[in-house]
Amino acid sequence: MLEILTRRCLQAVPLLLVLSIVTFLAIQSLPGDPVDVMLGSAKRDIAADELEEMRHELGIDRPLVEQYFRWLSNCVLKGDWGRSYKDGRAVTKIVEERLPATFMLVGSALLLAFSLGVAWGLAMVWLKQYPAGHLFEALLFSLAITLYSAPGFWVGFLALAFVAKTNIHGGLPLLSVHAPGDNTTFLSGLFYALIPSTVLSLRRMAKVALFVRTSVLDELNRDYVVTALSKGLGQMTVLIKHVLRNGLSPVITLIGLSLPYLLGGSVLVESVFGWPGMGSLVVDATFGRNYPVILGLVTMYGSIVIFSNLLADSLQIALDPRLRQAGDETARSRAAESGGAF
Amino acid sequence: MVEGGMMARNAKFSSLKMSAGLLLLSAVVLLAILAPLYAPYDSTLSPLAVDLDLLNAPPFTKGHLLGTDLLGRDILGQAMWGARASLIVGILAATIAVSFGSLWGAVSAFFGGPVDSLMMRAVDGLLSIPNIVLMLAINSFLQAQQVVGSLPAWLLDSLHVTAYSSGLLPLITVIFVISATTWLEAARIARARIKSVLVEEYVTAAKAIGVGARRMLARHLLPNAAPVIFVEATLLISDAVLMEAGLSYLGLGLGPATPSWGTMLTSAQESLIQGNWWTVLVPGLLITVTVMAVNLIGDSWLDATGGQGRMS
Repeated sequence: MLEILTRRCLQAVPLLLVLSIVTFLAIQSLPGDPVDVMLGSAKRDIAADELEEMRHELGIDRPLVEQYFRWLSNCVLKGDWGRSYKDGRAVTKIVEERLPATFMLVGSALLLAFSLGVAWGLAMVWLKQYPAGHLFEALLFSLAITLYSAPGFWVGFLALAFVAKTNIHGGLPLLSVHAPGDNTTFLSGLFYALIPSTVLSLRRMAKVALFVRTSVLDELNRDYVVTALSKGLGQMTVLIKHVLRNGLSPVITLIGLSLPYLLGGSVLVESVFGWPGMGSLVVDATFGRNYPVILGLVTMYGSIVIFSNLLADSLQIALDPRLRQAGDETARSRAAESGGAF
Repeated sequence: MVEGGMMARNAKFSSLKMSAGLLLLSAVVLLAILAPLYAPYDSTLSPLAVDLDLLNAPPFTKGHLLGTDLLGRDILGQAMWGARASLIVGILAATIAVSFGSLWGAVSAFFGGPVDSLMMRAVDGLLSIPNIVLMLAINSFLQAQQVVGSLPAWLLDSLHVTAYSSGLLPLITVIFVISATTWLEAARIARARIKSVLVEEYVTAAKAIGVGARRMLARHLLPNAAPVIFVEATLLISDAVLMEAGLSYLGLGLGPATPSWGTMLTSAQESLIQGNWWTVLVPGLLITVTVMAVNLIGDSWLDATGGQGRMS
């Protein structure tokens, strides 16, 4: 068990390295070196040999490989991710301000998507066993397929229109109003997140519901269920102890795999609702061509995804003894996520 | 017996999904084809014709079946031209992504060992970045490299780029940005398929008679993995359609000169504040229908090949 976990941790290292190399090469490919960027038009007044000296001091005349390791150690050890072109503040500081809002939005969406999604999926399985339930099952299934196909930010528009029309916005906040880094209390933040996170969660919720439906139905058709029932085990025992445990365990991997989609979706949902998180920041930074901020955010998003996958894998190994021997591919392939845009 | 019954029902369900998907998709394709007939560019129904006397007209207004938007442009006309843009972007982006991705995945699977690890770690690393973030980053780097300025004049001419219009450039950029993101998924799918083909006996036989790497890939591996890769590729079209809408909504996709469902949603956001919900409803519904149609077709195809669909 410990061995597998260590191996999983070690597998995350090359991913982080790839991420860092891509980021580094992206910085290198930008036109103009840091000296140009810092001096701007003042560069004209400075002699060429002084410019060379500045480049030497900054270490950007060194070989690329050496520069990469220096940049990496700056990033990791000193937490220096460069400064924003816009206001000269440290990128780490800016990202730090935006992180809690995105965590709150994505976290509550994740919670909603999986709690309600699992319930939805099980409801479909449950309805399927009654002849009269087939119609409702078909209804729930069609709803899930529709929601899975609808762009999340469009559902956000509809939610805004609905809340505005029905006048329940006296009680519900429509748009987020607090500034980034503003110390609102956790509870009031959660209140503001109510509509955006519900909107963000819907597409995932539908995916989870469809996934749970297939997974549990597959499990119900397996031989061991017949065996367990025929040797006299109660239906409830078989269902809860065997079918649900086996059928729901790949859902945990799906949690880890869902994060990139929720984070991606949050970029659009944050833009719709004016949510002061990393998503609206990355859009602003793209328009302002604020490369240090873009790269900092790319690194941040990537690291969150890599670590959450690691966490989900470990959790599943802890819960599913079969994976302790079988190793790598089983868990992942069972919860295989074949694409899907945010 | 139970098994057989189950299978039969699944097959029936699967063909139902296929018919529903094909029906919905043909409706969208029909919209795209009829666009120039219903809303030619020189008519009042043209997607770009602004009518300031008829702002935000509700549906079933005389002459505007689905109403007008905040600039008085006909919504149905825009939606029909938007269908063209979405389908073109979706199909081209998915085609490029799958061509490049399956080559990458095939080479990776074929050589195995350290080459495989290196190539797939690169894919996994990039996949850990949420795709819209990756698209925004790629978009900003295209701007930074001043790609447009460095293009030769004849190319700019053929793309209809003038001093006043960026012509087809936004379309090409969007297709590039989307395929630069979706090829990762295609590479993973192709690698898995080729790996499973590699253990087949005819591959061993081909190896034994000394078939070279290039011939092996081109003649044996890729053609045999192609059907499943092709099916999964159709699913990428639905991603591309969603991505185009997202990018255009953010203002980084197709510009106002090219009507698309994404750009319609951007202007619709402003009408929404005034309570004009229909401007939002039409483009969003069309995106949903297109994505659902492609997903249904792809899933039912996957059912037939024994794979697991996206919506299961």
